[in-house]
Amino acid sequence: MFQRSYNDKIPQWKTWLAAWQQLDFVLLFLVVSLTAFGGLIIQSTEVRQETVRWFWLYHWLLGAFGLILALFIARLRYEFLIQWHWVIYGLTNCSLIAIKFFGVEINGSTRWLSILGFQFQPSEFAKLGLIITMAALLHARPANSIPSMTRTLAITAIPWGLVFVQPDLGTSLVFGAITLGMLYWANVNPGWLILMISLLPSAILFNVYRPAWYAWLVAMGILAWFTLPWEKVGVAIVTFANVIAGGASGYLWNQLLKDYQKDRLILFLQPEKDPLGGGYHLIQSRIAIGAGELWGKGLQHGTQTQLNFIPEQHTDFIFSAVGEEFGFIGSICLLIVFWLICLRLIIIAQNARENFGSLLAIGVLSMIIFQVFVNISMTIGLAPITGIPLPWMSYGRSALLTNFLAIGLVESVANNRPRLHFRR
Amino acid sequence: MGVFPSLFAYYLLPFASLMTDSKVTPLRPRNKPSVNSSKTPKTRKKSHRSVKTNLGNARLLLVWGMLLLGMGGLGLNLYWLQVVGAEKLANKAQQQQQVYMRPYVPRRPIVDRNGNVLASDRLVYSLYAHPSQFKVTKAEVADKLAGLLDRDRRDLLEKFAKQKSGLSLANALPEDTANQITALKLDGLELIRQYSRLYPQQELASEVVGYVDLDHQGQAGLEYTQQDLLEPKIRTLRLRRAGNGALVPDPMSEGFIDFDDKHLQLTLDMRLQRVTRSLLKESLAKYQAKRGTIVVMDVRDGSLLALVCEPTFDPNKYSKYDVSLFKSWAVTDLYEPGSTFKPINVAIALELGAIQGNSIFNDRGKLKIEHWEIKNHDYDTVGARGRLNLIQVLQHSSNTGMVDLVQRMNVRQYHEALMNLELNQRAGIELPGEGAGQLKDLKKFLGSPVEAATTAFGQGFSLTPLKLAQLHAAIANGGKLVRPHLIRAWVDSEGQTSVHPDPRPLKTVFSEETSRIVLEKMAASTKLSGANMDIPGYPVAGKSGTAQKASPTGGYYENVKIVSFVASFPVNNPRLVVLAVLDEPKGKDIFGTTVAAPIVRSVIDAAIAIEGIPPNSP
Repeated sequence: MFQRSYNDKIPQWKTWLAAWQQLDFVLLFLVVSLTAFGGLIIQSTEVRQETVRWFWLYHWLLGAFGLILALFIARLRYEFLIQWHWVIYGLTNCSLIAIKFFGVEINGSTRWLSILGFQFQPSEFAKLGLIITMAALLHARPANSIPSMTRTLAITAIPWGLVFVQPDLGTSLVFGAITLGMLYWANVNPGWLILMISLLPSAILFNVYRPAWYAWLVAMGILAWFTLPWEKVGVAIVTFANVIAGGASGYLWNQLLKDYQKDRLILFLQPEKDPLGGGYHLIQSRIAIGAGELWGKGLQHGTQTQLNFIPEQHTDFIFSAVGEEFGFIGSICLLIVFWLICLRLIIIAQNARENFGSLLAIGVLSMIIFQVFVNISMTIGLAPITGIPLPWMSYGRSALLTNFLAIGLVESVANNRPRLHFRR
Repeated sequence: MGVFPSLFAYYLLPFASLMTDSKVTPLRPRNKPSVNSSKTPKTRKKSHRSVKTNLGNARLLLVWGMLLLGMGGLGLNLYWLQVVGAEKLANKAQQQQQVYMRPYVPRRPIVDRNGNVLASDRLVYSLYAHPSQFKVTKAEVADKLAGLLDRDRRDLLEKFAKQKSGLSLANALPEDTANQITALKLDGLELIRQYSRLYPQQELASEVVGYVDLDHQGQAGLEYTQQDLLEPKIRTLRLRRAGNGALVPDPMSEGFIDFDDKHLQLTLDMRLQRVTRSLLKESLAKYQAKRGTIVVMDVRDGSLLALVCEPTFDPNKYSKYDVSLFKSWAVTDLYEPGSTFKPINVAIALELGAIQGNSIFNDRGKLKIEHWEIKNHDYDTVGARGRLNLIQVLQHSSNTGMVDLVQRMNVRQYHEALMNLELNQRAGIELPGEGAGQLKDLKKFLGSPVEAATTAFGQGFSLTPLKLAQLHAAIANGGKLVRPHLIRAWVDSEGQTSVHPDPRPLKTVFSEETSRIVLEKMAASTKLSGANMDIPGYPVAGKSGTAQKASPTGGYYENVKIVSFVASFPVNNPRLVVLAVLDEPKGKDIFGTTVAAPIVRSVIDAAIAIEGIPPNSP
């Protein structure tokens, strides 16, 4: 034995590293770079704060911890999660329910749990729980029939509902995006997905432009006719649901949403209506990004950022600091980095050993891409303020850890993919 | 290192398959959704892979397409924001971040030679109301304000009804009242802090100090002429405004405020000024004169210890007075000096060598030059006096004696000497609108012998009272023409003087011998004259003047007089020259000796006490 290992010319560190041999290093590098860059930007936003804060350091430290966790997870065989998915599902729901009873209030919303002095946001980790749950469900039973899709939807509806009533509109939207993305990947008829979300456009169009709403009804009816198994019943149900969505939208709008949520949802269309109130964030963020111009003002030289014109800039509005201090070029570079991350995630999904791994990667992709789009859209005034952070950039410990855990899972999928030379 | 090729292949494979595989599997036809139904899986593993394989490239392409579209959309929006709209937004950022402020530094104070404040800035408040922003009823606001503003409640209500916003309720509210208004905590009221110029001595030196208007611009007196120095030049401060409204100094422009606490110190002595003004006021009332002025000048350097004109104004309420009162007419207005000019002529004649100290002149009482009749003021009662020495000429203020004196000079030289006294020029005092004397030019002067003859007793030309005082000062100080001035220095709080007016005399116009003789003769004549100038230890060299006023149509008014008295003292070491002029005094017995001389006497008495002037050494 000893003799053999000596003769073996493979150094010991290499055998140790072999466990990560198939890791997607590009993805890892991009994510780590983003986190490092995020720390720099966070630091830039707090240079001239009245009180000394160390968010940037926490961001880096937690990033480093997240990286270690991710590398550890990458070594594990992710398939074991399939057996545990109901447990994970249960834990996810329990943690969300626990907020109702033991939640800690920060900045006016109750989203945190405090355990051993550490505060964490269960809804962030719930995203991961949802991804694992759905991947396991869809792995076992692809959602290519209405009943199986409905079953999956029913199971995810519980955590979704718990997040929505928290209320955490942003995270509930992320849940929706994850669900849609994973269903799409699991072979669900895209027409069904469109029909599923048809209620939202219906509700909006009913109130904005009635003729368009009628056209929408017809279009959805036709789509139902061609995609649903029982055409007549399907068309009837879809049309009815759309009519209800349109008609009840006003009532739901008033009953389901809190005032501040309503304000947030509409104000982005005309932030000038309330320049010192709800519109302030949007206006100032746009000004900051625009003031960055082509090349930006340089790190720690963005005047909007340094003069603290954007409250809580280190969290959800971190992109406005990037836009101001690194300009159009920097913003585009950041977009490209996110695009590359998405690219890697799709490639991992494509090359996964089986559906579970593939769906895990797509779930993470859906989560990341939706957050990036909505967050950046929000900072440039294209979307309402929904409290969605920019992955790996925004300061937020639970979110950062969740994203690293997600990357760990995806790296595990990549690490355990079938070797190419076995395929050929 | 077999890892690398495989990794390489792994990274590039998806692209390759995307690019090479042109066969796009269409979306599954309707009602055939099941993967499982289409293919019976051989193994469990295979069945799961089938999800992927059956997706085909179409599904992947759709993901790609959406990703690209989304990224492209964001990129495009960023392009609109950061390239197309960048300039506008950058300007907006700058606009909200930069605040330009003019630091309000108070206008510099003016003090007298002893440091008594004549003008200084104090904080006051203007109150504005914006009734549209009232949170309580107008009546309630009016109730609360009426007492504080000392105004009628209904009056306020009426105002509130007129305008919705920007209603000016009060100006120059003192800090106390402003604090009380703030304490009311009423919405829709606005207090604007500003500096207001306060003149604590009120009218005491008003024609000298002047006043500033509502915009803090000097409009009269020294406030006007020294505007640039009194109003500190402070560059506009560029400040950064932070998001919470706090002002952050721009690092570029820190510590540049050149603040100083200089104040303008005048030569005036308020104690003397006060006495002088009250004397003048009294006299003005007594003789119902139109106006009067007193000039007290230090003969040694031309500094003015008192300069008063009556009637005057209160600079704190300047808007209530007539514009004509804002000037110091001792400086701006010309008059014919009359007999007070005679000693100057004597000095000129002595200087030219035309006469000696003991020369004798012929008083003919009355004489005719061309068709002009010249006679002594007392000719009708006394007639011709005959031979008179210099003292007697001055004592009796003999016009014909003076004509004799002047006629002993070469007219051209006489005119030249007058010009040498700078009669046609301004003396250069720091007050606005100083008048330059009017002496006929040489051609006219030579044109008729009557010109020199009238000049002999101070008529036919005009000068300012200030100029006359300057000429008498020259006689008193040994022949030097000094610059009359009001500014002693610019002083800071540590007593450092910065700008100092040049104390040197302008030029020497008489020899010491000449001035000594004239002064002696004046002193002797004063003693003999009716003017009561006997102050033990302080001999006075004075001269009275009583002139008929020239009418604008030519000739002189019979009964409209301007009386004056000028005196320098103590004679053997003169310190001050005092000139009093009363314009159009009314009543009987109106002469310089009877009207102006008593004023001068009182001023001298006061000046001796106030300035502590030592008596003549015996």
